[in-house]
Amino acid sequence: MLPLTLLNISQGHPMLVELKSGETLNGHLVNCDAWMNLTLEEVVQTNADGTRFFRLPECYVRGNNIKCLRVPDEVLELAREKNQQQREESRQNRNSNQNYGNRGGNGGYNNNRGYNNHNGNSQRGGGYNRGGGRGGGQFRGGMNRGGRGGY
Amino acid sequence: MLFFSFYKTLIDEVVIVELKNDMSVRGTLKSVDQFLNIKLDDISVLDEIKYPHLSSVKNIFIRGSVVRYVHLPAAVVDTTLLEDASRKEAAAQAAKAGGR
Amino acid sequence: MSLPQALDASALPSIIFTTAAQLVDCVDKRLLVILRDGRKLIGILRSFDQYANLVLQDTVERIVVDSLYNDQPRGVYIIRGENVVLVGQIDPEKESSPSMTEVSLDEIYAAQQKESDERKRKEEVKTGKLIDLGFSIEPQVEDLY
Repeated sequence: MLPLTLLNISQGHPMLVELKSGETLNGHLVNCDAWMNLTLEEVVQTNADGTRFFRLPECYVRGNNIKCLRVPDEVLELAREKNQQQREESRQNRNSNQNYGNRGGNGGYNNNRGYNNHNGNSQRGGGYNRGGGRGGGQFRGGMNRGGRGGY
Repeated sequence: MLFFSFYKTLIDEVVIVELKNDMSVRGTLKSVDQFLNIKLDDISVLDEIKYPHLSSVKNIFIRGSVVRYVHLPAAVVDTTLLEDASRKEAAAQAAKAGGR
Repeated sequence: MSLPQALDASALPSIIFTTAAQLVDCVDKRLLVILRDGRKLIGILRSFDQYANLVLQDTVERIVVDSLYNDQPRGVYIIRGENVVLVGQIDPEKESSPSMTEVSLDEIYAAQQKESDERKRKEEVKTGKLIDLGFSIEPQVEDLY
């Protein structure tokens, strides 16, 4: 289960968002997207020193300003249960062409391929995507660049 | 991609990674990726006393953006090959820029 | 063009060189994550993605000043990858005897305050000298690791 998936599941739950500036926002997550942009409700904003507090009925956070988020333990438990449920369902649908292995797992190779629902960040490596040979722009890295020789 | 490929040839060599915060870590290069993130095994911090919090850590993953230098043993670097590859890369770049 | 022996693709082990591949064997392990703001978080890695965003469970924030430390329980963290400096696998045997002494929260806060005052003083001296030489310096908010 991906971090952004966990974030999606925590919609409706309270959380603490810490910004790169050190400010913290305590509120309920209304919505989030693939870039980690968030909308929060009933927010208490605290400055970096912890000396000033503001109450905001609603706020929008641009994802790139986020340092980290703290969510209640229950949300992770909930996410795991949902994951289990999904696995049960796809086990039952095994004969149909479901993306079973690629969606569920955590790691490595397969996971990158399965993570195909967002296109906004596919250029994250900086510069333009040279990967003509990689296919789809979603596949990151991997050996055998082919044809370069030497280094 | 040139340096990504270069690092791949250095897998299993012992290197010293110097971070931008002046901390240096010695370890065996186990993995690298396209962002030049580095995985080191069996690490030892060079100034242990200054960085005691890493005393119980054996393997680390270092984000490429925080690396200042990677110190390599001179013996494992084939400079001729590197020069060749750089020239090819430069030519490829020029060709691409010209074609646009 | 002939490749030297070591660079023959078929001779190289088939390791996948991706961010995900590097982090996959850290899952469900207790890790030390150092953030750009200098914080040290110790927790169990539950998930990650290609940006090195991490999900840590049972996280403890370890405040370290010289050889003193204090742990504060923090719960579940979702860390945005760009703020990560390094992720270290904690060796369970070595963990039991860290080369640091645990102290109370008040003590560590006091030590932290001293350290921060000292750092500010040094920064001021440095900035003053650089300004005299004609440089103009922005105060550093991030990257305190």
